[in-house]
Amino acid sequence: MPQVKIIAKNFMDMVASLTARDLDNLYQNPFICEAILRSLPPLAKKYVLQMLYIEGSVLAKSMEEWVLADGFTKHRVAIDRLVQLRIFSEEKKKETSYRLNQTFQTNLQKHLIYGGALPREPMPSNVTVRLPTLEELETYALGQWQCFLLQLISSTQAEKPTNFSSSMMKVFQRGLLTQRDKESPRLSESGFQFLLMDTSAQLWYIIREYISNSQERGVNQADLISFLLELSFHVSGEAYNVNTLSELQKNMIKDFADLGLIKLQQGRKDSWFIPTKLATSLSISLTDSSSRKEGFVVVETNFRIYAYSTSKLHCEILRLFSRIEYQLPNLIVGAITKESLYNAFDNGITADQIIAFLQQNAHPRVAERVPSVPENVCDQIRLWESDLNRVEATPAYFYDEFPSRDVFEAACDYARDRSGLLWEDSKKMRLAVKAETHTHMREFLRGQS
Amino acid sequence: MASAPSKLYSDDVSLVVVLLDTNPFFWTTSTLSFSHFLSHVLAFLNAILTLNQLNQVVIIATGCNSCDYIYDSSKTANQSFGNGRMPTLCTTLLQNLEEFMTKDEKLGIEEAEERITGSLLSGSLSMALCYIQRVFRSGSLHPQPRILCLQGSPDGPEQYVAIMNAIFSAQRSMVPIDSCYIGAQNSAFLQQASYITGGVHHKPQQLDGLFQYLLTIFATDLHSRSFLQLPKPVGVDFRASCFCHKNTIDMGYICSVCLSIFCTRHKECSTCGSTFGHAQSDDASATNRKRKAPDS
Repeated sequence: MPQVKIIAKNFMDMVASLTARDLDNLYQNPFICEAILRSLPPLAKKYVLQMLYIEGSVLAKSMEEWVLADGFTKHRVAIDRLVQLRIFSEEKKKETSYRLNQTFQTNLQKHLIYGGALPREPMPSNVTVRLPTLEELETYALGQWQCFLLQLISSTQAEKPTNFSSSMMKVFQRGLLTQRDKESPRLSESGFQFLLMDTSAQLWYIIREYISNSQERGVNQADLISFLLELSFHVSGEAYNVNTLSELQKNMIKDFADLGLIKLQQGRKDSWFIPTKLATSLSISLTDSSSRKEGFVVVETNFRIYAYSTSKLHCEILRLFSRIEYQLPNLIVGAITKESLYNAFDNGITADQIIAFLQQNAHPRVAERVPSVPENVCDQIRLWESDLNRVEATPAYFYDEFPSRDVFEAACDYARDRSGLLWEDSKKMRLAVKAETHTHMREFLRGQS
Repeated sequence: MASAPSKLYSDDVSLVVVLLDTNPFFWTTSTLSFSHFLSHVLAFLNAILTLNQLNQVVIIATGCNSCDYIYDSSKTANQSFGNGRMPTLCTTLLQNLEEFMTKDEKLGIEEAEERITGSLLSGSLSMALCYIQRVFRSGSLHPQPRILCLQGSPDGPEQYVAIMNAIFSAQRSMVPIDSCYIGAQNSAFLQQASYITGGVHHKPQQLDGLFQYLLTIFATDLHSRSFLQLPKPVGVDFRASCFCHKNTIDMGYICSVCLSIFCTRHKECSTCGSTFGHAQSDDASATNRKRKAPDS
């Protein structure tokens, strides 16, 4: 789904837009170097590795020799990204050359030789009472996240409210909900699209909002980003002492607990936090890799949808574009109908998004099949969408009252040559041209008269 | 013989199975000491694991009497370690390697004196392929596996059939075999393996810089390979070994039924049992002789 990439990229853009000093400070932390390395495009990662033990700078020309002709655009993208993030610094003497950021370089070198250590030591098991198992932790994280989502969409449906202040919630809802005066807020176009994204993309969206809002609360963006990235290197399921955190970070983890990133527990003396899968996979989802989780939806050629899920949220999402027929304890059965799809298109969801959602969440049994969603269903969804777009609007200019037929014919030919002619009526000598050819047309007609 | 068709890879996640040559007969003669070699390799493995959180590394030791898994990054990932000084990768790997070496040595003593000094490449290749098959079958994850042979010992012609079979099954399951040869003469087996499976074969010129060679060439994930310049084979040694005496031969006899290769004329194929026609006069037999010529 294109959305995922846009959001992940946007986060890195946010990092890239930090000031030079903030960025250099970020690179002091080896974990951030690692996380940033992982978020780079594949070619850029390769270049960093290749340059890791080169002390001086490398000519841009000789770097171009590393790639094949097909890969040249990718090469440019990679280099641009590296320069943007200040991992490469450009040196222009006679010819352009690049060298690696020194802090970044030494940090990574150390990492490769001594291996990755953990950001902080987990607490010994005799202090912590009973830690949740990985499965419990996962259900906790997902539950927390879905609860948050439900609250986000409709504040009334959530079973237990989260800690987020209503002003904070408003910030998240901005862009996802629209409110016409006096009516209750409705999901906006991007809100529907948000629901169809996979969890990590949604999480990044929220986190991006959270970070961009942080300045107003007087928190430095760089601190927040560095803590988030560091968090993703903790081992999920281990307990870490809260006292190892700074005051600022202690405030943040309460919010993160609401999102399901971590679980907070209180012991007799100490309290600790346990990172969940959601936190540790944060830096994975920064890369473009496709989502690797198990799906639950089976679509049949007769347009019926079987969704093996107990989640209320999944039901709500399916309801966006299908008619839910009945619900069993672990199964939601629905049908894709013309009416339900028109409803979805009205809300600004596109056919491609629906198909991508069905494909991404395909049940493992059908996921192996190619295509995972039956072809006739995909085609029909697309056809119904194109049904709605029969009329196309093009800005145009209309000409009439030509002095003679010759001028009219010449004008028609001229417009046709520039492929700007939209319509002509030779009897009444009238024609319409595309707006962008209007200026040329005017010049031409002036020359004629 | 055509090179393997390449699959389309959508991202840069990789599962690398490294076959480590631990043959003591080779390492005593090598200019690069085994400990230096290990430090190069360890840093390289760290680099691969750093590149992507989903990357996985499996190491198989190739001894001269046995082979064994000595490290699997997916199993140790969630283990916390005691004193935090040494990373898990080094400690578990070195410990397992040491156990493996002593066991391998014992096996060598029990065996008769006439043991050859090659290493069991066929064994470790098969183990690697088994591991990859298991991963393929175990779940919906789509790993992009490749095998990397770090080999120094010379080819053991007696393993020809086993190695070729392993290579062909790798080709079938579209697993590229990369090979980095650090010994004196180049290895025909590894050249063929990489050529047939679409992997990269390289023989580093300067062994002190092994790490840089490993990073530049062998750290390239399968996705990026379609954009990057990588060493291309200059000429591949396609010579085969005969099934009867395990000699490497240029020209020989080949069974028309099962394609077994022999260096001398036989009455009957030892592999499939088909009987060959009677020998005609020596002049005529020249036409009967089928050539196994280097393929291009």
